[in-house]
Amino acid sequence: MAAITEPIPQSPDQINEDILRVLEPPTPLYVLGVLFCATVVGIGLVAFLYQTYWGMGPTGLTHPVMWGVYITTFVFWVGIAHAGTLISAILFLFRAKWRNAVNRGAEAMTVFAVLIAAMFPLIHIGRVYKFYFMVPYPNQRGLWPNFKSPLVWDLFAINTYMITSIMFFFVGLVPDFAAARDRVRDWRRHLYRVLALGWRGSSEQWRHWSRTVLHLSGLSTPLVLSVHSVVSWDFATSLVPGWHTTIFAPYFVAGAIFSGIAMVITVLVPVRKAFGLEAYLRKEHFDNMGKLILLTSSIVGYSYGMEYFMAWYSANPYEQMSFWFRGFGYHWTSSWIMIGCNVLSPLPLWFRWCRTNVAWMWVTSIFINIGMWFERYVIIMTGLSHEYDPAAWGYYVPSVVELTVLVASFALFLTMFLVFLRLAPVIALQEVKELWYESRSHKGHH
Amino acid sequence: MAKVLGILKSPEDTVSAIHSLKGAGFAELEVYSPVPYHGIEEALDRGPSPVRLFTLIGCLTGVTFGYFMQIWVAYDWPLVIGGKPFASIPAYTIIGFELNILLGGLFTVLSLMFFGMWKSRKGHDAYQPGFSGDLFGCVVSCHGDQIARAQDLLKRSGCTEVRVVES
Repeated sequence: MAAITEPIPQSPDQINEDILRVLEPPTPLYVLGVLFCATVVGIGLVAFLYQTYWGMGPTGLTHPVMWGVYITTFVFWVGIAHAGTLISAILFLFRAKWRNAVNRGAEAMTVFAVLIAAMFPLIHIGRVYKFYFMVPYPNQRGLWPNFKSPLVWDLFAINTYMITSIMFFFVGLVPDFAAARDRVRDWRRHLYRVLALGWRGSSEQWRHWSRTVLHLSGLSTPLVLSVHSVVSWDFATSLVPGWHTTIFAPYFVAGAIFSGIAMVITVLVPVRKAFGLEAYLRKEHFDNMGKLILLTSSIVGYSYGMEYFMAWYSANPYEQMSFWFRGFGYHWTSSWIMIGCNVLSPLPLWFRWCRTNVAWMWVTSIFINIGMWFERYVIIMTGLSHEYDPAAWGYYVPSVVELTVLVASFALFLTMFLVFLRLAPVIALQEVKELWYESRSHKGHH
Repeated sequence: MAKVLGILKSPEDTVSAIHSLKGAGFAELEVYSPVPYHGIEEALDRGPSPVRLFTLIGCLTGVTFGYFMQIWVAYDWPLVIGGKPFASIPAYTIIGFELNILLGGLFTVLSLMFFGMWKSRKGHDAYQPGFSGDLFGCVVSCHGDQIARAQDLLKRSGCTEVRVVES
């Protein structure tokens, strides 16, 4: 990883000013953006209510494809949620200091993405008001959920991840809320006073805070690996050709980190430009994220190849048929979009010029987001539509209702991120200041 | 008991102020800083935070509860499947692990709230908004006859401002 060698050229007070400036009253363009996104969310809500009223008929789900766009999108958003924990927890434990500038935005994305992901199984079950059947609680019927089912594992994994991510995000924000409390002069001062929980930055508080961050990182690291492994077992523990494979857990985890980092780039590049944060989100950060993309893209590309190899090597006709269908059946466009976006589009990042070119990175990240959504779509669709018995083969076309809810989920993500931009520092003030002091001390200033 | 506040511009000066105050026998020190600084923590030498114990308690509670809940449920409504034991320990490891992390995290954050926020909520009269910006504060509690000595030590450690906060 390229080291951030030069100290950020401002004083710590300047860092406060620059980053807290993002919280200043919004521009009309910002308000328009929020309103537009909120409107799309509203349209998605109408589609969801329509589906809830009429049942699952308005969706394209029918035998044999009973998992469609909703489960695809669920897996996609869980994947997006992985970047925050990778950058905040895993890179923290590896003492990769460059993460300091991007971790806050990535953590916020984690929280928003996992909240959205958690909604999709509920949307998918149709009778959303019966979601609590999955939760183990004493009831008159004496019934309990099946703890050997991957779907129940998912419930525990996703909720644990959601709660832990929110706690991690909030604990990191407390010192920054205190900085905002000490500088903001309007009504938000009261809000930050409450959110700062009486933070004063005393040595006693830092002692407990540092230990908490270390422990949450230690707990989150295996958690993040487990969450997408559990999601992959939704598929791998079944007997569906194309799904029943032991490679799924590492393949899904690498794909999740791959897509998560791509989403961090997609969102932070416009923020960097709009708020003049070039001194904080620097080319070195994009260079390092580009290398992570290359690494995870290679793992994902290897997994794609290995799936085809194992299908051939197993001499299992069902497995072979499933993979032939994946590449050349009626869903072939989805498969080749997946390979093009996830394996081919990151290849130019082997060159440093491309990794440090912010516009190039942004375009690549969008390709990856598209490719990773299609990856999950391909796995689900091709697996279910062509199982063992040709008489039971089927076809799936997403309906307008499903696509509206899909688009609304992206709008909801953007709405939450835009609101977050105005309420909390998008770059971790305290961590950037820490980096500033360290860089200065290494340079021998005293 | 009086409190003398010294305001400093750098963490290195703050560390040297702590060393000189401790060397002169001042034991009750509090330091405010905009960032956590390892040198300050080392100089104050307060030992590890009790948060770590609560993380351990949370993790052990979570994993125990996770396994217990699943095993109890398996025997509460026993289903014979292929003559296998009712409780399937390998399958239960996943939820056991998730609850281990969940309760470990919750206990960690709750102990931060208790030790970091609740227990240390009072006695911050010397706090200044600059301490969340670019200033460091070193507060020493001392008796009336030690004030001059504390002020002198703080000034010599590079404080830009030294004053008595409370007497």
